[in-house]
Amino acid sequence: MDIISSLAIISFAALIHASFQLSVSVLTLISGHALGSQKSHRRLVALTASFVFGAVLMSLLLLSTIALVANQFTDGSIGNYLWIAACSLLIGVGFAVMFLYYRNEDGTGLWIPESFADYLMRRTKATKSTTETFALGQTSVISEILFISAPLLVSALTLVQLPAGWQLIGIAVYAVISALPLILIWILVNSGHRLSAIQKWRESNKHFIQLASGSGLIILAVFVYTWMVLSSGVNLS
Amino acid sequence: MNDLGGPTIIIKQRHHKGAEQFDQAKLHKSLVAACLEAGSPNGHADQLARRVVDSVILWLKDHPEVTSQDVRRAAARYLRIYHPDAAYLYEHHRKIL
Repeated sequence: MDIISSLAIISFAALIHASFQLSVSVLTLISGHALGSQKSHRRLVALTASFVFGAVLMSLLLLSTIALVANQFTDGSIGNYLWIAACSLLIGVGFAVMFLYYRNEDGTGLWIPESFADYLMRRTKATKSTTETFALGQTSVISEILFISAPLLVSALTLVQLPAGWQLIGIAVYAVISALPLILIWILVNSGHRLSAIQKWRESNKHFIQLASGSGLIILAVFVYTWMVLSSGVNLS
Repeated sequence: MNDLGGPTIIIKQRHHKGAEQFDQAKLHKSLVAACLEAGSPNGHADQLARRVVDSVILWLKDHPEVTSQDVRRAAARYLRIYHPDAAYLYEHHRKIL
C-alpha cells in the first residue's frame, strides 16, 4: 500500500476516534467546575490544557504500543487473517455505536456503567491540580477503549507497514486529528464562549455524531477489507 | 419547614445514601455554581440563587417528602425564569457524562 493511502486510513480512523465523546464530556465538566468555583482564567487554561495534553499523550501511547506489539508478532507483514479480524471489530463496534452509544434520555450521557460515570464525575469535581487533570485526561481515553480499540487497531496495523520515518508522521497525524474536538472545546471555553451553548450544540447533534461515528467505522471496515484483503489476491484457504 | 411544621425530608436518589433534611445552603451553593458556569458575575449569581431558593422553600411547604431530583427539577424551573442558560446547565449537570 502506498504512503498516501496509508495516511488516509490513519487520518480517517483518527477522525472516527475524534467523534467519540467521553473525553469531550469530561473536559466540559472540568471547565464547568472551574468556572463554577470561580477559578482564575489562568487556572482554567492550565487545568483544561493539561487535560487535553494527558488525553493526546495517552492516545499516542496506546497507538504506539499496539503498533509495537503488532510489529513484534508480524515482522511488519500483516496477514489477511489480522485484517479480517480488524474489519470484524470495526463492523461490530460500528453497529454497537450506532445503536448503543448514548443513553436513551435527555443530555449527552453515554452508554458506560453508571457507577463508572459517577466515579468520573466525582473525580472531575474533586480535581484541583493540573497533575490530576492530566491523569484524568489519560483515564478518559482509557475509559473509551471499548469504542476506540477498533480505529486504534486498524491504524496500528497500517502504521507498521510504513517506512520508519513515516510511522512517526502517522502517529503524530493520528494524535493531532483524534484530539481536534478537545482542542476546539479548549479554545472555545478559554476564549469565553458559553458552556451552555457548547453543551446544547452537543446535545442537539448527538444523534448525528452517533450515526457519523457508527457509519464511519463500517465504511472504514469496507474500505480496509477491499484494499487489504480483496486486492491482495491471496487465497485464505 | 413544611405545612405540618416539620422539616422537609429529601430522599436521595441513590438509596444507599439514605434520607436527609433539606439544606438551603447546599441548594444555594449549587445554584450559584450553575450561574457562574453560565457566565454570570458573582453578585448577580448570588442574587439569582437567593431568589430561586426562596421560591423552592415556598414550593416545599406543600411537599413534606421529596427526592433530590424533585428539588433539582423545581429549582431549575424557577431558575429558568431568570437565567435560562444557567437553568440548562443546572438541570443537565448529571446528564453530561
